Parts: sequence; C-alpha cells; structure tokens
Amino acid sequence: MASPLSPILAIAAKDLLVERRTKTAFFSSLVFALLVLTILYFARDKTAVGDLDLAPGALWVTFTFAGMLGLNRAFALEMGNRAIDGVRLTPASATEIFLGKVLGSLIFVGLVELTAVPVFVLFYDVPIWRQLPLLLLVIALATVGFVSVGTLFSAMVVRTRFSEVMLPVLLLPFLFPPVVAAVQLTRSLLANRPLSEVSGWLSLLAGFVIVFSTFSLFLFEAILEE
Amino acid sequence: MPQAEPAVTVQEVSRRFGHRWVLRQVSLEVAPGEAVLLVGGNGAGKTTLLRVVSGLLRPNKGSVKLGGAVGMVAHHTMMYDALTARENLTFFARLHGLSIRQRIDGLLQRMGLAHVGDERIGTFSRGMLQRLAIARALMHEPKVLLLDEPLTGLDDAASRTVIDVLGELEQRAVGLMVATHQLVELVGTAHRVGYMVNGRLAAIEPCAGDAGQVVERYRELASGG
Repeated sequence: MASPLSPILAIAAKDLLVERRTKTAFFSSLVFALLVLTILYFARDKTAVGDLDLAPGALWVTFTFAGMLGLNRAFALEMGNRAIDGVRLTPASATEIFLGKVLGSLIFVGLVELTAVPVFVLFYDVPIWRQLPLLLLVIALATVGFVSVGTLFSAMVVRTRFSEVMLPVLLLPFLFPPVVAAVQLTRSLLANRPLSEVSGWLSLLAGFVIVFSTFSLFLFEAILEE
Repeated sequence: MPQAEPAVTVQEVSRRFGHRWVLRQVSLEVAPGEAVLLVGGNGAGKTTLLRVVSGLLRPNKGSVKLGGAVGMVAHHTMMYDALTARENLTFFARLHGLSIRQRIDGLLQRMGLAHVGDERIGTFSRGMLQRLAIARALMHEPKVLLLDEPLTGLDDAASRTVIDVLGELEQRAVGLMVATHQLVELVGTAHRVGYMVNGRLAAIEPCAGDAGQVVERYRELASGG
C-alpha cells in the first residue's frame, strides 16, 4: 500500500526535477538575490548606516523578492499542457497537491536562501553565528508562511493575464506582517539581544504562519476548480 | 450490451460559465464496454460535458455517477514537457498509488513509444504526445475513458494505433465517451452517437457505422428537425 506521503513527495520531487532540467527559476532567483545584496551594500554610506541597521532589511528584501520569482513559476509549469488537470484526475487530494507544491517551493526557496546567506555574511559584517539556531528558526518560520500563502496566490493568479505582475501586487500586502516581524527578530538576534525583548514579534510571526498556512490549505481546493 | 451497472450515469446535468449555460439538462448512460460518440458543432458543449463527467468541472445542476476510475485524453497532453515519457508516466503512476514499472514499459511498447521512453516529451510530435496521453489515461486501468478529439493532428499510422487501442477497450468493459469531428475514422468504433446542439443532448441513437448518416442526422437536429 502506498504511503499517504507518497503523492506529496511525488509532486515535490517532480517540481524539483523540472526545475533541475530547466534551471530558469533558480538562476533568475539567485542572480536577483545576489544583485539586491550587492546594490544595497554599495548604495549605503557606511559612516551613516551601520551594518546592523541595514542587514536585516537587506536580508528579507532579498529573500522575499527572490522567493517570489520562484513562486511565480510554481503553477506556471502546471498550466503548460494543463498538467494540473492530469494531476487532478488522479486520486491525489487538493490537500496533497497543495502540500506537494509547498514542499517543492520550500526546498527551492531554501536553496536560494542557503546560497544567498554566505554573500550576505561577506558583505555585511554581522555575527550570524552567535544565535544561529534561533536565526534559522526565524528564517524557517517566515519562509514557511511566505511559501504557503505564496503557493495559494500563485495558483490564483496563474490563469490571469500578467500573472507575473499580479502575484507580487496581491501577495505583498499579505506578507507585510511576517516580513516586518522577521526583520525585527533578525535585527534583535544579530545584535545578540535576548529573545524575550521581541517575543511579541515572534508570536506575530508564528501566528501568521499557523493561521495563513491553514487558511491557504483550506482555500486551495476552491482555487483549483475553474 | 451486457446489463451491468452503467460505467457512466449523467443525470440532468447543467453547467454555466458566467451567465451563459453551456450544458442544459444533459442525461445519458454509458454501459461498460460501450462507446458513445459525441458529435456537435464548436461550442455545442461536448468538451464541457466530458470535463464535468471527469470531475474536473462541477455541474451547477444535476449529478454524475461513475462505475469506476476515470481516465481522460483532452486537447492538451496534461503532462510536463521537461520530463521524459517514462518520468511522466512514473509520476502519474505514483499519484495513482501504483508502482508498476513493467506496466509502464508495456504501455510505452503498446503505444509504439518504447524507443523514445527516455526522451523529453517537449521534443515529441503531436502524434507521439497523443499516444503518450492515452498511455497516461490507461495506466490505472480505468473503467471509463473520456476522449476529446483524440485524432486531431494525427497521421494515418498514429490514428490507426489509437483506434486499435479503443477497440481493445471494449473487450475490457471500459465505457468510452468520445467527442470528435472526425466521424469517418471513429464512427466504426461507436455503439451509439450523441448529438449535442447548443448545450443540449438533442438525441442519442444507435450507430449504424455510416459517417454520412451521422452528419445528415446532426444537420437535421441542428436545424430543429
């Protein structure tokens, strides 16, 4: 008997295999990430803006917009040849399809983030090692929230004209709370401040992830239908 | 026809897009092993009916009952250009909860695609893609197969392969619904013909195997006869 995880893993593995073959989204996201980090580094006046003031914002602007390039592609590849219809004709449920797409996008965005972090450390002289586990937790939480909501919106806009423009327009207002929370938490952790000082932001981030991920999961079935 | 549970039961199905009703109170049954040809002009509702029967679209009114798993071949291949034929079939097999390497090999062989099984389907011709789409639709041994213009863009050899496969499905008690404009090639496979006019099933009648008669009958129904 097939594992209940099997459809989820199959969808995620297929997305990553398609991306490995085409490489378009990964390289465009990566180039974008490196470009943003570089431009922000050279644009500032180091005597006026310290590393700790700029680094958290630079990191999350990079992650958010680079990730969005990947999310744009998440459902575009399903619409080519209407492959999503083939998937819907199988016993895979809307929940399994959603979780498969989220898992594939999480790995994709995670790889982009993983590649961008060394450049971030190189440009911005910030001590990420001091509270690395907590910093990774914040990055993981914000990425899960961002990818869950982004996957839902990607499915929503993919049938519209100018979907690549529509995704950021619709998604960014929803991402405001988790990105601001992630910036505040990152700033505090890089400054080696105790987490208790920013526990409110952590609650906001965790709350967003739980509420909006669940919301996206339940709405996805309606979005899949025409 | 054997008196078994119908493969497809469509009851009073209506479907609209916006304010426009594209299916109006369509009812029909398809028996196991029976092939029903759906004919009608563009916009008559053939494709929408097949999508409603497949479950891809929900009807606004009425209901659809299937006697088993459904497979569908449509205008689009419903597969991924960046993957090979074998990878595509393996992916859909996993979604069906199947682990059937031998069956995938058998299907590729039957469809004449074994020699290109490890090539990306983005390089395939229309005929190869259509045969692969049929392999995908048959992989889980469905009891109902829905085909929307299955011969469009195919050359004679590819059409022959598809028609032969459809003939084999009758022996396996698979109920077929085929929407087509290519009557000459497909009329010989059909037991009955359903005539779709403006979203309604104007008539469903036994098929004598003569494309000319089907065309005449359609014209009669479409002109309100």
